[in-house]
Formats: sequence, structure tokens, C-alpha cells
Amino acid sequence: MLVEYSSLITLIALTAILAFSFYAVLIAGQLSLAQLGLASLAAFTSSLVVPDEPLFGFIPPLAVGIVFGMCVGILAAFILGLPVIRLRGVFLAIATLAFGEMVRIFLINQTWTNGAQGLGFPKLVGIEVAWIALIVVAYWFWRLSGSRMGRAFAAIREDELAATTMGINVARYRMASFVIAGAVAGLYGVLLAYFSRFADPNEFSFTAAVDGLVTAVVGGVTLFVGPLLGSVFLSVLPELQRLLGINAGWIRPTISGVLLLVVILFLPGGLSGLIPRRKSAKRLVANPALRPDLPALPAPGTELVSLQGIGKSYGGVHAVRSVDLSVQAGEVLGLIGPNGAGKTTLVNMVTGLTPPSTGTGVVLGAALTAGTKAHRLAQSGVARTFQQIKLFNRLSALENVLVGGYRITHDTLLRRLLFLPSARRFEREAVAMASAQLIRVGLGDKAANAAGDLSYGDQRRLEIARALASHPSLLVLDEPAAGMNHVEAGRLSELIRSLAADGIAVLVIEHNVRMMLATCDRIMVLNFGEVIASGKPADIARDPKVLEAYLGSAGNDADVEAASVLAAENLAEVAVELAREHEQGPDAVIGDDAEPNGAAEPEDKR
Amino acid sequence: MRKKLFSAAVCGSALLLAITGCSTTSGNGTKDDGATGSGTGADCVIKSAVPISAAFSLTGAAAQYGASQKNALELAVEDLNKVGGVTYELTVEDDATDPKQAIQVFDTLIASGAAVIIGPTLSNTAKQTNPIAQDAKVPVLGVSNTAAGITEIGDYIFRDSLTEDAVIPQTIKAAVETLDVKKVVVMYSNDDAFTESGYQAFAAALKDEGVDIADTLTFSKADTDFRALLNKAKKSDADAIVVSGLIDAAVPLVTQAREIGIDTPIIGGNGFNSPALIKGAGKAAEGVIVGAAWNSASDNEQNVKFIEDYTAKFDAAPDQFSAQAYAGLQIIDHAVRAECSAEREAIKAGLGDITDVPTVLGDVSLNENRDAVHDALVQVVKDGKFAILE
Repeated sequence: MLVEYSSLITLIALTAILAFSFYAVLIAGQLSLAQLGLASLAAFTSSLVVPDEPLFGFIPPLAVGIVFGMCVGILAAFILGLPVIRLRGVFLAIATLAFGEMVRIFLINQTWTNGAQGLGFPKLVGIEVAWIALIVVAYWFWRLSGSRMGRAFAAIREDELAATTMGINVARYRMASFVIAGAVAGLYGVLLAYFSRFADPNEFSFTAAVDGLVTAVVGGVTLFVGPLLGSVFLSVLPELQRLLGINAGWIRPTISGVLLLVVILFLPGGLSGLIPRRKSAKRLVANPALRPDLPALPAPGTELVSLQGIGKSYGGVHAVRSVDLSVQAGEVLGLIGPNGAGKTTLVNMVTGLTPPSTGTGVVLGAALTAGTKAHRLAQSGVARTFQQIKLFNRLSALENVLVGGYRITHDTLLRRLLFLPSARRFEREAVAMASAQLIRVGLGDKAANAAGDLSYGDQRRLEIARALASHPSLLVLDEPAAGMNHVEAGRLSELIRSLAADGIAVLVIEHNVRMMLATCDRIMVLNFGEVIASGKPADIARDPKVLEAYLGSAGNDADVEAASVLAAENLAEVAVELAREHEQGPDAVIGDDAEPNGAAEPEDKR
Repeated sequence: MRKKLFSAAVCGSALLLAITGCSTTSGNGTKDDGATGSGTGADCVIKSAVPISAAFSLTGAAAQYGASQKNALELAVEDLNKVGGVTYELTVEDDATDPKQAIQVFDTLIASGAAVIIGPTLSNTAKQTNPIAQDAKVPVLGVSNTAAGITEIGDYIFRDSLTEDAVIPQTIKAAVETLDVKKVVVMYSNDDAFTESGYQAFAAALKDEGVDIADTLTFSKADTDFRALLNKAKKSDADAIVVSGLIDAAVPLVTQAREIGIDTPIIGGNGFNSPALIKGAGKAAEGVIVGAAWNSASDNEQNVKFIEDYTAKFDAAPDQFSAQAYAGLQIIDHAVRAECSAEREAIKAGLGDITDVPTVLGDVSLNENRDAVHDALVQVVKDGKFAILE
């Protein structure tokens, strides 16, 4: 059996290694077709350095080839990555495809590769070597999947922008996945050449790249065994048909094609979707003792955001003009104004997503310039939610929050590879921290649900929990109450007050003016990119300019509602009453609306 | 979840069992079932059928070649089994024009007890599969491998296909003698093993005959527009254009050359040796000179019969691939009968002694390098047909 099928078994391992190379980029949401180019570069250059005899008497020639080939793969992937890493989707696929073709033509025209006639290699790879290599690669990806790096890849795959605002350096991680794929591709190239004893550049063609991609996709990218399953499936199919006595010819590829179609149609997650996933990453760790020790937040009153004359214009359109803004630790600053007033543009500048056109600003000690990176600000303690919900939809609620904890957790990949006890401890700390945030926003019982399956209000809350998981000094909430009813909005208001009480500076945009008047310490009103009023909620509510701004842009539901809150409900009285209640504490404000059971009561105030 | 895991395990082991269960055929099936017979040559009688296996590209890029090879082998087995004494049992497997598939096919064929393996279709595949047969001491007869370095793999590797090295010098010699060629432009596609080694053979042959090479131009096997290169070639005012390219390049190249007014002879490698050239290029193909291992116009008695039978059976004219495959089995038959044994070692020894065996290709010998030796035919396209160049 072993003799007859030794080549088949070896090739299953080699094909799986190639599929892992595609897997490495797919898990970070990138479609690269450069793998075969990298593999052939590695294979042919390794022929130049592999010695006939063991190096220094004990290093086997193949080991030299493997190490060298992987280095070539890493280096080539890095150099290729520098220009193409900014490309996305189909553009990246085309650019990397072109690279593969360039490599093929380059190698064909070199004398040392013997051109299209190919190069002979000694046979150094058999079943054992191939499977050991596969096991090492699979082990690496297995340990990667639960590490912080693995979570960062998943986050980038699901939503790059959200990942950036969690403090993840997207460009660096994308490059990392590219380089990892390069290393694995280099390994594949060397192993294949020294297994098949011959290689010509035409073998590492576009067709072969597509085969590798198909293997990875059929196997599935949700689980590390996917590439192996894909490889077994595709390699065994022709052999199985041969055994079943199906005659050689067109009928075999047809059957294989139909089965492939069936898998793609009915198993969107690939073959690995059939394997039940381990549930541990979905379990909460509620024990507060397991939470990590976190650095203290800035003392209340410390100025965290300071903007002077900040402005943003797109061509002739001034979205924001000359705004001064200051946010202190422990306060809730509200930002209201009609639609299109420039509120989101302003917070995008504060969180580093949009560089300001004019003015200066400092956020948590970092100056806002064209070169300010959102992930850097996030790492220094800015967290935010989005007006359009940006969750990692295919990840569970808990996993979403775990990604949010990127900033305060350790990278555990190396520790996980060595099974160090500290890896387990760090992971548990991260889960404990994430669990606490989930419970705090009232999603403790939905930890295992996929984020995309949650209700709208729950998704809003999950976004807040994810932002909180980074232990931020400054929390920016962009319309957190959108789509919430009175009761939910009341609980949210309570939550925001409790966060401020913890010492977090909260900058919140909201159309629910009633809630804003109740929640904020200070409110700034923007209209047409300019601040038209700023001050205590009571003063804002009485300001005729504010009412005018809202009435002036009628025709929009949210604005009409806001105006009606301001005008119809006896504006001044409401404001005075609310201001009085406000001084008595946040609970009294929503006392009328909130359910008496106190379900939204934060269970763990730090 | 436990249940699912269990069922997954059951399915997995069932699959493994299926694979192992079907592989009980022992590796040395030719040993003890009457593989050795009595008598020699025409009188040889072997009781059990001689298992002949072939690995051809029946699907994928080279499928058209593999199909004619398979047809020819089926015809040859039919014909040889009629002779009596020795019967052949043919297994044809598909390598899907993929060396990785071919490696597995060779493993399977060797394990299933093939006395000799014919194939594979492509040279670059042979470089990966033939070492496996060499290690397992199973004789291989290539019937279409023309690249250098195939028979060097080992002493179990033979071929009846003339290499470009064997055909091209004869082509150039004939062209120089009949057409008085003194200066040529050479064009070849440099991204294909076959055409590149063809180019090397042309370059060497031109040097031997003392012909000037005015210019050497390269193209890709995927190219279809050669006008720029041909204009360059036209300016150099050569007596002939020498081309090493596949048939896909041959048709547009020849057509475009005539279009831009090149009326010098065009000398092609084996890639040009296809009825598709005349069909595709039509009148433009007139005057194209091609050296070949086989020509349908050859009046060799066996060849005439082969063409008739093949056309009757498959409703299509045979090409060089089918002729060489048919001749391959004739040669194997000769080797088996010489030792009157279907054992691998005996066949290997028999193949080593092939001298002037009459086949559809003419009288074929295998030399000390296990390569074929027979006369090549230099043909010229004349009145829409390949004719012998005289």
C-alpha cells in the first residue's frame, strides 16, 4: 500500500502545504496569486546553493535548501508586498498574478535554470519529509488561530477600518500575512522540486496557482485543517475514480468538477465547515480576579483632546471650519447638530481617520497631522464606534470584543507555539477582560452568537463593548442610540454616565436630543461645519440659534424630532428641570422611563 | 459533537479502507504465472497475457496527442494479438497533462505489475516519471519524447521517437543541398522545452553545414502576431527562415510571413509536422520544409496498411504520434518474442537488442544510448500535401 501510494500520499502533503500558503493570505482577507511565482523562485535558486554533501558534515543538503528557499520566499514576498500591499481584492489578485508571470518569464530566460527545458534535482524528499513539513506548517497555523495575531488577521478580513480603530496596524499585518505566505510557498517550491526530481518554470503557472487557490477554498479558511482536507479531497478524487474502474478520459475530470461544484455550492465554509468548532473561545470568564492589571486612566479633569481652529474641506466644501474643542478625562461631551453639520467629520479627525486641512490638535499627546495613523491613536487610548455599525460580522460577539482588547493584550503566538503556561494565562486574561465588557453592556448571554446575527440594538451595544475592551482613555460614540427605543436609550445614558464616572472621557454624537441633554456634561452644537453653541445642556436647550438650526433644516425625520424636543416640550422648563435632576445624579434623570428591574445596571464598576 | 466526530472518524477510516482494500494486487504479478514461454521469435508462445501499460495525456493541454497515441496502441494490440502465441493486455491511464498526476499513475502502473510502460506523452513529464520506473526496474518506452536527457535517466528508459537532434541535421542538410541556402534567420519560442531544444539542434546543424545565421529572434509559444519579427527577418535578406515552434505558432507565422511578402522557404522543426499546418495556412504553407520521423506519404508497406486500418477504425487520419505509438508496440513485441518472456528484465534486455526491426516508421534500431535510429523524412508542402523533398 505504502509503495503503491507513496507518491499520492507525498503529493497530498505537498499540495496541502501549497494550500496553506494561500490560506495564510486568505485568513487576512487578501487574494494573492503570487504563491507559485514565489515557489518557483525558491525552487530554482535553491538549486544553486544546495550542496551535494552534508554541510559541515551534519547539516543535510535538504535542510539547507528548505531554509534558503523559505528565506527567498520571505524576501521576495516582502519586496513584492511593498508596492502591492495597498491594493485590495481583484486588483491585488491581478498584480500578484502578474508577478507570477514575470517570475516565470524571468526564469525561462536565465541560463542557470536551463530555460524551458527545466532543471533536474536529486530526490531528497519522500513521504516522511513531506509530512513532517506539513505537520510543522499545520501546527504553526493551529497555534496562530487562537493568538492575538490570528485574531488581528480575522479582524482585518472582516473589516479593515474597524480593525484600524482597534489599534491594529493593518498595513503591517497584511504584510505579515504576505510574508508568511511567501515562506510557506518557498517551502512548497523546494519540497516539490526535490520530490519530483525535475522542475521547469512552466510548471509554476497560473493554472497551478488556481489549483492551489481552489484547494485552499475547498478546504475552507475557517479552520487550520482546511488546506489538508482540500488537498486530500482533490488528490484522492482521481485516484478513487481509477480504483472504481472509471475509464481514463474526459469523464473523470467531469466527475471531479461536479463534486467540486457540489462542495462549493453546499459548503460555503469549505470542507472544514463540516467539523464542529471548539466552543471554548465562546465561553465567558466572569471571575473578576482573572482580569489583567491595567494602567490607571488619566486623572479626571486632565485635558485629553485639545483642538484649535481645526477644519476640513473637500475641494470647495467646508465640512468643518475652525472648530476649537477640548475634552477632559471623566466628562461627557455631546456633539449635536442637524444632519450634514460635520459632526462625524470632526470625530473622524479626532480619531485619526481623517487628517485635518487646517488648524492644530493634540489627542492623548499625539499631534493631529496628515501623517497621524488611526491605529496609533487607538494604541494610545482612543476607542470609537461607528455611525454605520462596523462589527466583525462572522466572528462571535466575544471574539469581537477580544479583538477590541488588542491594545491591552500580549501577542501570544510564540508562547502558544511553545505551549508556555503564560500563553494560557494571557489568553484567559484577555477573555476575562472581554467578558466583563460584554456583561457590562448586557450581552453576557449572547457571547457565542455571531455578531452579524444580533439585533440592531445589540449590535450597537456590542460595538461599545468592543471599544471598551481596549481600556480607552477617550471613547468616541457616533450615534450610539440610533435605532434604540426610550428604554434602551435610557440604559445607554446610564452606561455612559458610569463610564465617565470611571474616568473615561466620552465624546458622543447623537440625534436623540433629550438623551443628550440628560447625559452630557457639556454640549457643542455644530451647523454647517461651525460651532453655533457650546456649554452646559441647560444653556444649549435655551439657545434660540440651536432651535433655529434644527427648524431650518426640516424635512428630515431626525431633525424634526430633535426640533420638537427642543421646541414643543416647553423648552426652557424642560431644560431647567433636567438640569436640576442632573445634579441629583444620573439615575434620577431616567427614573421616569427606565424599567424598575435595573437590568442595565452595570454589574462590575471598576 | 462527539457523535459528529465519531461519524467523521468512521467515514475517514472507510475511505482509507477503500484505498487499501483495492490495492491488493501484488507488485510482482509477472513472476509466477507463466510469464516465460517457450520458443523464440515468431514461434514464441506465452500462456498468460502480457500486461502492457501506457500513461498518456488523455485530458488537459496535450489531450489531442494522447488521444491518437491511445487509438494507435489499441489498434496495435488488436493486430498483434491476431498473430498468435503472445497476447497483450493493454491498460491506458491518463496523466491529465499534469506531472504530479503522472507520478501517481506510474506508481499505480508499476504496482499493478506492468511488464513495460509506454509513455508519457510529454518530455517534461517523462523527466519526473521515468526515474520512478528506473528505481523500480521497470522498462519504459517513450513514443513521443524528443527532448534531450530522457534516456540518460537510466538503463531501463528507451524511446522510439527520433529526437530533434536526429531529425534536424537531416532536414538542414537536405535543404542546403536542394535549395542552396547560405544565410538564414532563425526564429524560435524560448518558453517551451521542445522548441528550445529544437532551436539548439538547428543552431548546431546550421553551423555544421556552414550556413550563416543573420539573426536569431525569439517569441513566446502563446504569441499569435509575428509581423514585427517577420519584418525584421525580411530586412536581413536571408535565403530561408528557420523556425522552431509549435503548431499553434506555425500557422499564423507562416500565413503572416507570406502576407508581408516573404517568399523564401520556411524550414520548420517537428512542431510543423502536422496536417493542421496545411489546413490552417492553406496556400501560404506551400514551400514549407519540415523534417519528420514519419510521413503519411511514405510508401512503406506496413505504413500504408496502418493508415488504412487506422482510418477505418477511428474515422480519422493517423498522425506522427499514432505512428510512433504503433511502432512502439511493434518494437516491444519484438523484444518480448526475442527472449520469449514477459518479465521486465527480459523485455529490458530485448529492447537493448533492437536492430533494424521493420515497423510503420521503417526499419528501427535502438542505439547504445537507447535512442531510436531510423531515417528521417524531409518533406516539403507541395500542392496542399506533404511530399518528399527531392
